[in-house]
Amino acid sequence: MSEAVIKFQNVSFSYGAMQGQRSIQAVRQLSLSIERGAHVALIGRNGSGKSTMARLMNGLLLPDEGLVMVGGKLTADDDSIYEIRRQCGMVFQNPDNQIIGTTVKDDVAFGPSNLGLPPEEIFRRVDQSLAMTGLSDLKDRAPHELSGGQKQKLAIASVLAMRPDCLILDEATAMLDPVARREVMALITRLKKDQGITIVQITHHMEEALLADYVYVIGDGRIAFEGTPAQVFDQVGRVKSEGLAVPAHLEIARLVSERAGVSYDPDEIVSFDGAVRFVSRVLAGHPAVAINECLYRAPADESVPAVVEVRDLSHAYDSPAGPPIQALDSVSFALRQGEVLGIAGHTGSGKSTLIQHLNGLITAGPGKVMVLGRDLSEKKEIRRIRRQVGLLFQYPEDQLFEETVALDIAFAPKQQKKPPAEVEEAVLKAAVRLGVADVLDRSPFELSGGQRRRVAIAGVLAAEPDIVILDEPAAGLDPAGRDDLFRDLLTLSAEGATLIIVSHDMEMMTCYADRILVLKEGRAAGMGTPAQMIASAQFLDQAHLDMPAPKRFLDALKADFQNLDTSCFNVTEAADALLPAKGRLNHG
Amino acid sequence: MGKSMLGRSIPGHSILHRLDARVKFVAAILIMVATLSIRDVRVMAVFILWTLLLSALSGIRPGIILKSVRPILVIILFAVALHLLTVEGHVLLQIGKIRITQEGLLSGLMTALRLSLMIINTSLLLTLTTPPLAIADAMESLLSPLRLVRFPVHEFAMMMSIALRFVPTLMDEAVKIMKAQSSRGANYDTGGLLKRAGGLVSILVPLFVSSFRRADDLAVAMDARCYRGEEGRTRLYAARLQARDLVFFAIAAVLLALTLVSKQVLPSLDGFWGSTLSVY
Repeated sequence: MSEAVIKFQNVSFSYGAMQGQRSIQAVRQLSLSIERGAHVALIGRNGSGKSTMARLMNGLLLPDEGLVMVGGKLTADDDSIYEIRRQCGMVFQNPDNQIIGTTVKDDVAFGPSNLGLPPEEIFRRVDQSLAMTGLSDLKDRAPHELSGGQKQKLAIASVLAMRPDCLILDEATAMLDPVARREVMALITRLKKDQGITIVQITHHMEEALLADYVYVIGDGRIAFEGTPAQVFDQVGRVKSEGLAVPAHLEIARLVSERAGVSYDPDEIVSFDGAVRFVSRVLAGHPAVAINECLYRAPADESVPAVVEVRDLSHAYDSPAGPPIQALDSVSFALRQGEVLGIAGHTGSGKSTLIQHLNGLITAGPGKVMVLGRDLSEKKEIRRIRRQVGLLFQYPEDQLFEETVALDIAFAPKQQKKPPAEVEEAVLKAAVRLGVADVLDRSPFELSGGQRRRVAIAGVLAAEPDIVILDEPAAGLDPAGRDDLFRDLLTLSAEGATLIIVSHDMEMMTCYADRILVLKEGRAAGMGTPAQMIASAQFLDQAHLDMPAPKRFLDALKADFQNLDTSCFNVTEAADALLPAKGRLNHG
Repeated sequence: MGKSMLGRSIPGHSILHRLDARVKFVAAILIMVATLSIRDVRVMAVFILWTLLLSALSGIRPGIILKSVRPILVIILFAVALHLLTVEGHVLLQIGKIRITQEGLLSGLMTALRLSLMIINTSLLLTLTTPPLAIADAMESLLSPLRLVRFPVHEFAMMMSIALRFVPTLMDEAVKIMKAQSSRGANYDTGGLLKRAGGLVSILVPLFVSSFRRADDLAVAMDARCYRGEEGRTRLYAARLQARDLVFFAIAAVLLALTLVSKQVLPSLDGFWGSTLSVY
């Protein structure tokens, strides 16, 4: 059983050393060994060296020092490189950039064709791989007709057709919504179980790391610490200092344990059900569970004027084959100045169509859109409104184009024909807010992904908009990076700007939004305070959204404690509902 | 946007689907030349019948086949208008200075049919019934004599196929970037030519940057899946030619020959139906 599929011996690797640039050491003196049939997770903040490790594992990169062995063969050995790549299949982060074939089946056939297999065998493997991943019906589709989740399953099918021993997933779920992410994870778990394939998974989602047998925490090109998920996540301090998060159920169970003075077994509380069982046992027989006094956000102040009013808005897209697609179906809502509105919804729920109506990128269609008192059905109003409504699409770093960060941030204020002094002031203010003031003279293209994101956001804020709309601003960021970004963005709201945040992450929304609008298949399924929107698990389930983990945890305990108030937004509130910080349990 | 016109093959098992892609490729070129050189209404009738037969054989819904004309509809309408307004002859209708003649009407109609039949035949033979990878493989095979002059045939075919794959992706991306920059106050609709050209920089630079990144990612993904060029690679769609392939090729050749020699061989027509011949 202890046969190593992948073995690193004192591996070091740096980028850019050859071109005489500043070389960046990505992996330092790293040793590890991954056993056949294991499911291993690599976690660590953005830029910690995880992806580099993945590329070293199948010879896409070769170590500067040390040895990488796959199935007993050296990746540095030219003769075995293709055998190693066949053995260690790789799925990458961006679904669009790894599909080579013009149809689903052609893409699956690409790998086996490169291996020079006879056509009949290739066609057989294509059918098999598609059946295993549940894509058989999409065989003849073009890649751009697939959803993100389907594209990633296709990438997995394409690797499976090469009959690998090991599947390396480099943040393969990072660009997916929760539903698709779960489907991909279920597929991976099944492949490990049924086919005995070794899984190496790089991820920012701690829930995914929990599914692994063994976790390596990577920091600064080294293994910071390692262990089973139970061992790793038991070291809360160390996990957080690596910019990562601890799954909510673990944190709640630990808080309850600490407050009740009852010790816990890390192996039990590592699973959601185990943590629920543990808490239930600790609190059992305790007569009165405290009513939660968690902080409810104040309801919207009706006297504040509405800055956005949408009434009965509908919009349909033409579809090349078949009837038009109804993206929005009589959606109405109003938004007051200074509010933080979350717009939540599954992929294809109409979120993106809705926000494009708010600065006139999409017009026409039945319904009315009033923004800052202007009716956006009139063309001349749209030009004016664009100055006051800043809109950031997903992955806004893709829109950077100037030579320096300062010039790029200055693009919007310059379009408004502000005098140079004012432009400079606006640029500096936006850059300071987003913490990119020290890179103003650098090219945006030499910054890290997280910094580029911040520059792009600053580029919209420099226009000093009254309303800022952000579509999935934290996508792909590690947990610490996400929290930092939101802290900086919320300073806008404190200064009177209105914020709209679009996401499918309900947990994040409940933490930051005053009110949440839930969209489902183009309709407004509901709108209200975060507490109202997460009150019903059934409601969220029907909208294909995930219940935030702290509330889900309390809901699971509801069966044992009928009068438990399950409304909570974060881990501390959940623990407070179960056992207030000061109250120790009296056993006996 | 552009998704319907750019090579979405409709899966099926008709005889058209099963024909060798190389044969279809060459036959498409022969028939393209033939349709464009139709001068005689009787030959046109033969081609209309032929196209109907081909459509029926393909098993594809007529609506989808007709849609293939859409991308060149403007060109067709323009050509028809040109013929209607310029060709002299027996006046059928006169509105002010505009004279519609019998000859103009017929030659306009012939032009519209020529262009439509050309595009329908090419679509039926190539885009609709042949997966793009099979077209790429066919091109690689047909171009293989160029290897003698060291032309990188395999690489060329691979490039074509990847380009085909990424056209829709990049079109979506261009729209997204344009919207993002519009949100930052960029204005692509007004202003002088120079200003508008300047505005393009804010779209093209991000588009190029992202294309390069995609290219980079894709290269890594291809490496990871053991791509090493032509060496040792299976050509999935390169089958041996069957009898039906040869028959089909022969028919295409006959059709071309028929159009080219129609003037010499067929007895000339008089009256209205012959008027188009006199035009050329």
